Amino acid sequence: MSGNTVISVKNISKHYVIGAKKDGSLAGTLTNLFKSSSSKKDKFHALKDVSFDISKGEVLGIVGKNGAGKSTLLKILSQITRPSKGSVELNGRIASLLEVGTGFHPELTGRENIFLNGTILGMTRKEVKNKFDEIVEFSGVQKFIDTPVKHYSSGMYVRLAFSVAAHLEPEILIIDEVLAVGDAEFQRKCLGKMKDVSQKGRTVIFVSHNMEAIKSLCTRAILITEGQIADDGDPEIITKKYLSLNNTLKLSTDWTYENSIGNELIKIKHASILPDNENEDSLITVRDELTIRIDFWLEEDDLALNLSLHLFAGAGECIFAALTGLPAKKLKKGLHSGVCIIPRDFLNTGPYSISCLFVQDETKAIYTFVDHLNFEVVENRDRGMWHGNFPGFIRPKLDFKIKTE
Amino acid sequence: MSKTVIDANKKRIFPDFKELFRYKDLFYTLAWRDFKVRYAQTTIGLLWAIIQPVVTLLILSLVFGRFVGVETEIPHILFTVVGTSIWGYFAYVMTNSGNSIISNQGMVKKIYFPRLIIPLSKAVVGFIDFAISLLIMIALMIYFGIGPSSNVILAPVFILMGIIAALSVGIWLSALSVRYRDFQHIVPFLVQIGLYLTPIAYPAEFATQHLPKWAATVYFLNPMAGVVQGFRWSLFGGTAPGNLIWVSAIMILVLFISGLMYFTKVEDKMADFV
Repeated sequence: MSGNTVISVKNISKHYVIGAKKDGSLAGTLTNLFKSSSSKKDKFHALKDVSFDISKGEVLGIVGKNGAGKSTLLKILSQITRPSKGSVELNGRIASLLEVGTGFHPELTGRENIFLNGTILGMTRKEVKNKFDEIVEFSGVQKFIDTPVKHYSSGMYVRLAFSVAAHLEPEILIIDEVLAVGDAEFQRKCLGKMKDVSQKGRTVIFVSHNMEAIKSLCTRAILITEGQIADDGDPEIITKKYLSLNNTLKLSTDWTYENSIGNELIKIKHASILPDNENEDSLITVRDELTIRIDFWLEEDDLALNLSLHLFAGAGECIFAALTGLPAKKLKKGLHSGVCIIPRDFLNTGPYSISCLFVQDETKAIYTFVDHLNFEVVENRDRGMWHGNFPGFIRPKLDFKIKTE
Repeated sequence: MSKTVIDANKKRIFPDFKELFRYKDLFYTLAWRDFKVRYAQTTIGLLWAIIQPVVTLLILSLVFGRFVGVETEIPHILFTVVGTSIWGYFAYVMTNSGNSIISNQGMVKKIYFPRLIIPLSKAVVGFIDFAISLLIMIALMIYFGIGPSSNVILAPVFILMGIIAALSVGIWLSALSVRYRDFQHIVPFLVQIGLYLTPIAYPAEFATQHLPKWAATVYFLNPMAGVVQGFRWSLFGGTAPGNLIWVSAIMILVLFISGLMYFTKVEDKMADFV
C-alpha cells in the first residue's frame, strides 16, 4: 500500500448460496445435514475477483446496472457483509450511508432521533451534542424538533436524516444513491456538502444511476458489469460507456416478406424509432424529436384501415394514443408506412415502449404490433444544478413565465 | 489514523472487546431508546409494568401457596416475589435480546457496528421491571415485618449471575434466530416452561428431595435454578444452597463464553441472512 492509498481492494469475491440451503428453517438445515456434503449448492457470484486502489481525496463514482454488484461492493467496503475471498484495507475513519435515517424510531422526537442516528453512524454522544445546532439548522425542521418523527412529512424526515449524516466527519465516506431524495433545494444543499467533503481531502465513494451527478462530482469512475470491473477511468468516458450498455433497446428492426411477423392481412416489414440528433452513441434525449415508422404489407385490396399508436411508460401505463386520420381510407394491397412524430421536449426520461393497433372499418382490430419498439429517453446535458429525477410521465415545455405587475 | 482490514481468511474467535468499548455510546443510546419507546406507546405506561408482575405474583401465590400448600420459612407470597423479580428480568431480557437482531434488521443491513451491542443493550431496560418487583418486595417485607438476612451483602453476586445468564441465553438466541427463524417461536415456550422448572413458587429443595441425583443435576442445568435459589438465600437466609448451585454457575459460564463465540462466528453473515 503506497502512502497515498486510502482504500486497497485485493481480489475480492462474494458469492451467496442460493436454493435449498437458504431456507432459514431448522428442519431445512437438519435434513441438509444428512444429505451428502457433495450435494450441489447453487452459488450466485455477486462479485468476482475485484481489485482496485483509491487514493486520498479521490471521489470515486461506481456505475453499473441493477444487479451488477455495486451494492454488494458497497456493503463489503462498509463492513456490513464479508467478502468470500480477498481482502480490503481501509485507512481512516469510515462512514457509510447506504440509507438515510438508519435506526430512526417513529415514536421518538427529532431531537432524540438525531442522537440515536448519530451514534448508530459512529459518532459519540459528545460529537452529536457539539454539532446538534448545525444539524438542526441544516435540516430546516427547527420548529418540529421536539415532535415525534411519526408526525413528520416524508420530506422533513429525509431532510433531518440526511442532515445527521452530512455532519459526520469521516475520512472515507461511502454513499449509495442518497441524493435521489428530497426536493431540489435540499438536493443542492446535499451536493454542496458532498463537494465540501471532497475538497477537505477526504475520500468519497459514490454509487448512483444519475450520470450527471457522477460527472459533476467524481474525479474517477468505475463501471461494474456482472460482478467485475469492466472499466475504470475518467467519469466522462465511463458514464458514456455505461449509457451505451443500455442499448438492448430495439430502435430499428427489419423483416423479409418470408419471415415477417403479422397475419394473413398485415405483414410487418420494418419498424424504427429515429431521433433527429447526430449523437454517435444514438442516445435519445429529452430534447430530440422522434420519428416512429412502421412499414407493412397489406394483403387485401380495398381495406379501410387506420392505425392507432400507443405509447407506454416503463411500468406499463399508457401515456397516449395517436390515430391516423378518420374516416379510415380504403387502401390498395401492397406496401404502406405509418409515420408518427413525437415532438422534442415532450417525453420525460425513462423507458418507453410502443405498440400499434391495425384497425379495419374503424372498429375491428385486425393486428396488434407489440414488443418491437422499446426505447429509453435520457437526460440532455444542460440541466443546471438539480440532479434529481424530473417528476411526471411527460415533460412538455409549456409557456410558463413569472410576471411582475 | 485508524486502519481497518477486512480479510476473508481471517476470522475472529472472540468479539473485539476494544471495538465494543469504542461503541459504548451506541450501547447507551440503544438502551435509552428502548426505555423511551417501551413506555411511549402504551397509554397506561408505567402502570402496565406494575400490573403484570403483581398479577403473576398473586396467581402463583394463590396456586402454590393456598391450593397446593407449599410450606416456606417466610410467607409464601414474599417467598415467591423473590423468584418472580429476578426470573421476570431474565425472561424479559432473554426474549428481547433473543429477538433483537431480527427486530433491528433494518440497521443490520445498512450500517456496520459490532452487532453484539444490540443484544447487550437489552439488558438495561429490563431493570425497570426488576426495580418495580423489588419495590413490591420491600412493601411486603414491611407488611410482614421481615428484615433482610445478613447474607444480603451477597445479593449483588446473584443479580450479576442473573444478568449474565439472561444475556448468555439472549446472545445465543439472537444469533440462532437470524439463521433459524424457528427460534422465535421457541422463546415464548422456554419462558413458559422455565417458570415451572425454576424454584420460583416452591423451594429448590423440592427438586433435590423428589428427584434422583442425576435428575436434580439436570434440573440445576437451568442457570436460573441456582440464581433464584441463591438470590432468595442472600435476602432471607434459610437453607443454604447446596453444591448443585455450582452446576448452574458453571452452566452460565459455559453459555456465556460459547454464546460470545457463536455470535462472533455468525456475525459477519447476519446481514446476508436477515
